[in-house]
Amino acid sequence: MFNKKNRNNSDNTQVSSNMATKQVRYEALVKALHGDLYRYGYWLTHDKQVAEDLVQETFLRAWRALDSLKDEKAAKSWLITILRRENARRFERKRFDMSEYEEASIMDTQSTTTEQEIENDWLRNKIAQLPPEYSEPLILQVLGGYSGEDIASMLDLNKNTVMTRLFRARNQLKDALEKEPEKMRFIHE
Amino acid sequence: MSKNTTSDNATPKSTLSTSNMDDLTFRRSIYADPNSQETDIIAAQDADPAKKQLAQELCQFDEKIKQAMKVDVPEDLCDKLLLRQTFASHRQEKRKSRIHLALAASVAIVAGLVVNYLQFSSSYNNLGDYALAHVYHEQSAFSNNDNTRVNLASLNKKMATFSGSFTQPMGELISADYCRFDGMKSLHLVFKGITDTVTVFVIPKEEHLAFTSTFSDDNLQGESLSFKHANVLVVADKNESLSQWQRTVNDNISWSI
Repeated sequence: MFNKKNRNNSDNTQVSSNMATKQVRYEALVKALHGDLYRYGYWLTHDKQVAEDLVQETFLRAWRALDSLKDEKAAKSWLITILRRENARRFERKRFDMSEYEEASIMDTQSTTTEQEIENDWLRNKIAQLPPEYSEPLILQVLGGYSGEDIASMLDLNKNTVMTRLFRARNQLKDALEKEPEKMRFIHE
Repeated sequence: MSKNTTSDNATPKSTLSTSNMDDLTFRRSIYADPNSQETDIIAAQDADPAKKQLAQELCQFDEKIKQAMKVDVPEDLCDKLLLRQTFASHRQEKRKSRIHLALAASVAIVAGLVVNYLQFSSSYNNLGDYALAHVYHEQSAFSNNDNTRVNLASLNKKMATFSGSFTQPMGELISADYCRFDGMKSLHLVFKGITDTVTVFVIPKEEHLAFTSTFSDDNLQGESLSFKHANVLVVADKNESLSQWQRTVNDNISWSI
């Protein structure tokens, strides 16, 4: 009887210490990766609010499944996978009331003060205009720092396809740049 | 979409030997990954200053792209995420404990029903089967050689419960007591018999056991008599004449109502 009680107590402390560890892991993940996740979500959706919702949904799911994450190094791609799935789910839910996004609403142009920011905005618009199957690998490569193999496995594509899409993405951006010669200098400066 | 992806598998070839990597192949490779560290790409750059320049240009372009991609992250997002998780896991805990409570309650209810069912349901469906089982159960309690005797007066006192009485003693009565006959209050009489005791049950009329006029198994036999307010069952071994007993009962018993 007393033994049982003691065992229960130690089980409880075990559980609560597991909970505490989980909490610490979770907070570390949030702090380290929420920015990357948000930006990734933003480039997937072109909408700040939706990106924020996606990140919240992603981290909630991550919390529930945190025990299945064994390798902390894989955390970022794990979270990105969850976020992509959430985004796909969002499309299923909203297929009927999705409206085509308008280019004007993609970027906020209100705070473009410096020349650098004007250039950034110009480039953001061009990135946003890339077909999603080109922009997504580019975001993963440039922002996420993933290799062609990594991207291929995350997007469930073969590596050659990924490399071709990356080539096309940069090629289209360069083309756009060359059509607007006044922008040319900022690539060479 | 299909227009853009039709030739996705036309792959940039980076497997050509370093010296003769042509411009197009190099271009495709370097556009796909400006920071490529593959040996043939590096070698091609070293061999051709124009390629090196293209690679550097693209690296700078990548840096621009990266800056452009780094949109501002809402400052409060981190706090929001942590806060939301706190609430969510709290809710989850509460839900869990409610589920446990509900489970415990369900188990308790089912256990209660099962006990109830086992205790109060009759596992026999006719008088004969139950009577035999009852006699076997109490076989060891009585012996044909018991010397205790119950007189007619105390027997009739007990029979009053069933609004009946016996006019004269029917034999040597070893025991007369109330008992539970499959849940019904009954009178259980044990008489001295030829080789073993003879058991007579006086039981109220009830619907839930089917009336069986005669019944037997390998050792015992029994007969039932149906009266207006009660059934009288006689159970004895095969040496007894049940019809004799039945007649005695029938002749002696009288009902007050």
